Amino acid sequence: MSAGQAGSAGTMHFTLKIWRQKSAKDAGRFVSYEVSGVSPDMSFLEMLDLLNEGLIAKGDEAVAFDHDCREGICGMCSLVINGQAHGPDKNTTACQLYMRRFQSGDTITVEPFRARAFPALRDLAVDRSAFDRIMAAGGFISTNTGSAPEANSVPVPKPKADAAMDAATCIGCGACVAACPNAAAMLFVAAKVSHMALLPQGQPERERRVLAMRKAMDAEGFGNCSNEYECEAACPKGISVSNIARLNREYARAALFFADHAESGKS
Amino acid sequence: MRCLVDLLESSIAKKISVALAGILLVGFLAVHLAGNLFLLEGPQAFNGYAEHLANNPLLPAAEILLAALFLWHIAAALVTRAQNRKARPEGYQSQRAKGGRTWGSRSMTATALLLLAFLIVHLKSFRFASDRSDLYALVMKDFQNKYYVGFYVLAMGALALHLSHGIQSAFQTFGVNHPRYTPWIKRTSVVVAVLLAAGFAFLPVWALVAGGAR
Repeated sequence: MSAGQAGSAGTMHFTLKIWRQKSAKDAGRFVSYEVSGVSPDMSFLEMLDLLNEGLIAKGDEAVAFDHDCREGICGMCSLVINGQAHGPDKNTTACQLYMRRFQSGDTITVEPFRARAFPALRDLAVDRSAFDRIMAAGGFISTNTGSAPEANSVPVPKPKADAAMDAATCIGCGACVAACPNAAAMLFVAAKVSHMALLPQGQPERERRVLAMRKAMDAEGFGNCSNEYECEAACPKGISVSNIARLNREYARAALFFADHAESGKS
Repeated sequence: MRCLVDLLESSIAKKISVALAGILLVGFLAVHLAGNLFLLEGPQAFNGYAEHLANNPLLPAAEILLAALFLWHIAAALVTRAQNRKARPEGYQSQRAKGGRTWGSRSMTATALLLLAFLIVHLKSFRFASDRSDLYALVMKDFQNKYYVGFYVLAMGALALHLSHGIQSAFQTFGVNHPRYTPWIKRTSVVVAVLLAAGFAFLPVWALVAGGAR
């Protein structure tokens, strides 16, 4: 859907309170902008594009924000809209949030994801490479590449395949961290650990993975999970906190019984 | 000591240990409440029960274990709280919940601090009272003070809130989460929290209003 296909409801007007920050060193502050001519069928990001076109035309700096696919599958958009990660809708990324969800004349506050482990880059863009480092610590399987193996040679029970696929829908956007009152990354780590612990292909590194990913997660300076479940409510992919319970089980099992656990996380 | 530091270093191990201490403390509360109910039977029954406990050779060990559970639960939670504050140095201008948090989960720190204050007052007035020869009279004297009873009831309200989140949260932390059982665990958690708190709060109110066992 392209911008400018104004619905029959006509165009909308908004007051935006946007977090502006020149760089990581800048203190940052909220700046208010007026944006008019917004089609109800524009996505939230398209509305920001419209704002930026106006700013650029005036010779001002455009508002920096992360985005990529704009179809809800890449995990790049990272806005806290009116105090909620990805805005008010459930199971929705900011790029799939449409302006018809708001009332014309509303004041909308837009902030970046805030966490020590997600340092500010500029305006609404933050550095989420902490997630990449957690993945590098253990979020992979070691397997020979080459021709695909025969599909039926490794049987996977349907319920396990479903649970693994549900966990694998995590797009790593970081909304769980943004929404968590403690800025914890447990839902992300839980989704990745669950996804691989449930499948036969993930078994060889199962214990080493969970120990190393926990260690990497804590080293990044994320907070501690206190089971408030705001992560699940904010997750655009609806990842369940039952994955966090699985992470706790996987961790306890590995920490208690994995013979080689002193070595994990060092390689 | 080294293993305690290791335990604090791992976020997941720490939370499992806090949950384990918490659940054991809930077990203690249930036994404590059962003991308190002897108050309803009058001085002889209550003092007899207290004496029976005091004469048990295992009591010192049990008290040390209990103190250790409390201290660990409180200390590890304080470390967690400090780490969590550090994890978000710059807060949101407005942070609106999306449906995960409950009254109990939101107020964990506040209820914990109130319960800690209560615990200190409670230990001072009963466990470390100068004269414990007639515990029934000691308890009844404090329970005639309406401010003391008010504080007691307030603290039990905090206990209900704290446990309504704490009990079900502990199950999640132990990795118990199942579509068939989790809704039940959540409901039972609230019921147990309210029953325990109401049981404790009933006794001082009863003592104040009805004047104790006649």
